[in-house]
Amino acid sequence: MSSERSSGRIDLLQGTLDMLILRTLVFGPAHGHAIARAIEQGSDAVLRIEHGSLYPALHRLVKQGLIVGNDGPSENNRHAKFYSLTARGRLRLTEESSKWERLAEAIARIMRPAEREGRS
Amino acid sequence: MSRRSVREESLDFEVQDHLDRLVAENVEAGMTPQAARLAASRTFGRTLIAKEDARAVWGRLWIERLGQDLRYGVRMLVRNPGFAAIAVLSIGIGVGVNAAIFSFADGILMRPLAVPDRASLVTIGSTSGLSNLGSALTASYPEYEEIRDRTRSFDGIAAWNEIPVGWAASHDQTPRVRYGMTVSGNFFDVLRLPPALGRSFRPEEDRVPDRDAVVVLAHRTWTIGFGSDPSVVGRTVWLNGREFTVIGVANQQFTGIGLSGAEFFVPMVMQGALGITGQPRTTRSLRNLAMKARLREGVSLSEARAELATVGANIAREHPEIRENRALSVRTELQNRIQQDLVDAVLVAMLAVLSLSVLLVACANVAGLLTSRAPARAREIAMRLSIGASRTRVVRQLVTESLLIASLGGLVGLGLGALGAQLFNRIQVPVDQLVNLHFEMDRRTVAVSFIITVLSAVLFGLGPAVRAARTSLTAVMKARDADRVGRLRRWTQGALVIGQVALAVLLLVVAMATYRGYGRELASGPGFRTDRLLLTSIDTSLSGYDIAKSTTFYTALMDRVRSLPGVRSATLASGMPMGFSFDGAPVFPEGYVPANGEAADGIGNARVDEMYFATMGIPIVEGRAFRVDDDTEAPRVAVINERMAKHFWPGRSAVGARFRLATADGPWVEVIGVAKNSKYVWLTEPPLDFLYLPLRQRWRARLMLITEGPDSGSLAAPVRDAVHALDPAMPIGGVRTMEEYFQMRVVGLGSVMLQVIGSMGVMALGLAIVGLYGLVAYAASRRTREIGIRMAIGADRGSVVRLVLRQGLTLAMIGLVIGLPIGLAAQRLLSGVFPAQQQFDLLPLAIVVPLLLGVTFVASYLPARHAAHVDALRALNAE
Repeated sequence: MSSERSSGRIDLLQGTLDMLILRTLVFGPAHGHAIARAIEQGSDAVLRIEHGSLYPALHRLVKQGLIVGNDGPSENNRHAKFYSLTARGRLRLTEESSKWERLAEAIARIMRPAEREGRS
Repeated sequence: MSRRSVREESLDFEVQDHLDRLVAENVEAGMTPQAARLAASRTFGRTLIAKEDARAVWGRLWIERLGQDLRYGVRMLVRNPGFAAIAVLSIGIGVGVNAAIFSFADGILMRPLAVPDRASLVTIGSTSGLSNLGSALTASYPEYEEIRDRTRSFDGIAAWNEIPVGWAASHDQTPRVRYGMTVSGNFFDVLRLPPALGRSFRPEEDRVPDRDAVVVLAHRTWTIGFGSDPSVVGRTVWLNGREFTVIGVANQQFTGIGLSGAEFFVPMVMQGALGITGQPRTTRSLRNLAMKARLREGVSLSEARAELATVGANIAREHPEIRENRALSVRTELQNRIQQDLVDAVLVAMLAVLSLSVLLVACANVAGLLTSRAPARAREIAMRLSIGASRTRVVRQLVTESLLIASLGGLVGLGLGALGAQLFNRIQVPVDQLVNLHFEMDRRTVAVSFIITVLSAVLFGLGPAVRAARTSLTAVMKARDADRVGRLRRWTQGALVIGQVALAVLLLVVAMATYRGYGRELASGPGFRTDRLLLTSIDTSLSGYDIAKSTTFYTALMDRVRSLPGVRSATLASGMPMGFSFDGAPVFPEGYVPANGEAADGIGNARVDEMYFATMGIPIVEGRAFRVDDDTEAPRVAVINERMAKHFWPGRSAVGARFRLATADGPWVEVIGVAKNSKYVWLTEPPLDFLYLPLRQRWRARLMLITEGPDSGSLAAPVRDAVHALDPAMPIGGVRTMEEYFQMRVVGLGSVMLQVIGSMGVMALGLAIVGLYGLVAYAASRRTREIGIRMAIGADRGSVVRLVLRQGLTLAMIGLVIGLPIGLAAQRLLSGVFPAQQQFDLLPLAIVVPLLLGVTFVASYLPARHAAHVDALRALNAE
């Protein structure tokens, strides 16, 4: 499902996005645009997200009670919704992080031998 | 409204805000406003879809998610057109064959009566002894009255009887034979069928014999015979020369009961006026009625059955003179249709088994295809699972895919089913009566096809989906090394292919055996002449003749017909072979002790004149045929067939032997001749006992005139003229050449059945071969690396081909070994249906086995050759 582009940027996998959002909100409340930019910049622009896909994820997290959204004025007086982590969200983030590390390791183990075989 | 739309609004706000920020960013970076907006929407993705996804998160619109799954499934199918085509076509064949067979079963057996509240309508009556070909529930008129008045389980009991009449719409019209019903006065009330026009019968019109000459027309008779003229009510029609007043037109949906269509309805008390002899209203043993009853609300079928048993026992006690072992019974419509026509029911059951086998083969095909795609999918699924997709979501996706394949297949199947129904519609029944026999893809058939479609999706999709749902990351990780999952998968696939081959073998053996058996029966012939004959049926009672007048008429008629130019011989018979009715009566041979458990079953008989055997070409093998002087003055005599002679007088000549007819104290009848066996009911019947009685010892009003001449077709007009020269108003029916009759009755129906069974065999073989090819090709491609290594270290192409071939041939052999004994058992069953066949017909096997091995070889050789031409280096680099 993930495909590498010639630009070297990677489409974000569904599910992973949830974790990255939680991670971004650790630093404080943010609105959608800011979250998207933070994820892209935090990964040195390797991870590419369709900004539109952010909102389903945000609503999912709100529904799960991991984040809350509050209306508020932003800079230059626009109407925006600011999302912030709940206590449950923080807890989930630590769980997810360790799970992610194990997963990343596992995927790496799968991928590595294939590369070796391919070259032999 | 409220919460949902508030959310919607807030979502719009957020999205708009986000887009604005992106545009602003881009403008700051130096883009024109237009380019900035474009770039912003590219970054954001498709706004609309983003919103849809967000809605799905709210958990409301699962239908939208189904839409997603469907889109995903369609994409998957479009990306794999080969897989899609084979899967859809397989299911299409499976569903189509079953739809066609259901349309056949429905038309011949299962279509319910077209009456309201049909669940509460049951058939009651007592059964007769002739059980092998099925038994109808019947009653005599006195029994009907007693059952009607003594039972409490029913809201009403209607009785009816089918009769032919000579029908004329005007006084000077030559009457034509038409079939209708004499019915009890409450008939239309019990069936709950209000008339389309006019009125139904009044209760008093069913009380006094011969008083109320009223008739209700069937709707079809009204539209076709009277051009839907609403002024038909009150008009006069002539039935058997007597005036009847039309009082109404029956409900449009009602065309008759069972397969026989009715063109009109008259009160049962008018039977006598229509020339039906034998005092039907008072003769307790004349069971010519059928009955339908409405179950009272709250009364179960078993309660009704219990009450009927009591009433029946009481009636039997009151009438000790009726020494028959008959029990009153009640049946639902379907039970009744099956019991009444066991032969059809057996045929339907056989076809259903075969068509379900085809469905199984088709499902195995698709399951095999899905299984071989499983490794590729397993990785995709494992990825999706590991990054947060729920298992139910994954299963739902897979199930949706299966349903998508099945639905497309179902659509193909509907088309195929319609073709099958068309084929079945070529079956013709050569009778004058209207026959309610039509096969179509109606609502019922479509509904059944739908059920079969869903069923097939479960059959082929459930296994792979459940296995996919169990997919765990570790299993996929290890799959490359340990390959436990892979082995299980290969075993499953192997089993599927073996099952397919076995079922295909079964179907092919059955198809071949049927074809051979039928062909042999056709080749050996029915035992009587089928060419040069013209059939004409005459019923003098329709013109109100009594037996004496009939005798004079027929004697004069035969003088005229025999002297017609072009006529070589002519005969009269009460029934003809493979006609739809012959009489049956028990026979009590002198000195014969019935074998243990052998009942004095009715033996078929026909009344024939002295020219019958010569005209029909049935040889007399011993003794003599009838003579003109075998008449009422002479002793009672009979000609019996070879089988009956062997049955009752084994090891000695039957000529001169005697038997009593009808009852154990009936008159003695002497056997004067033995005729060669022929077919009496149906081409593939087992040999039956049969006896012929001389027409001159007991004349009939209803006879078949059979004329023989070199050009039988051209005799129709002179024969008709000869009849009308004696009585211009005599109705004539069933004018056909024997060739035409035999074609319709035997060859046509047989060839339709052969085509159906044969094409099922071919389809099963085709499906099994595709399955086998798919598996071998898949397995070969999985072994590309191994083959590369083998070739790199010096294996030649031949050994690689053998390696791949071996797998396909092994599976086919196992399938054969399993399928052959089943096929042989089925063939043994079939040899009961085709008596001319010797116990074991080896030819079907001699064709099926090499055919199957041959196509297996090709199906395995193609992928094997492909594998052998793999470039060793490329193979090693492939993964």
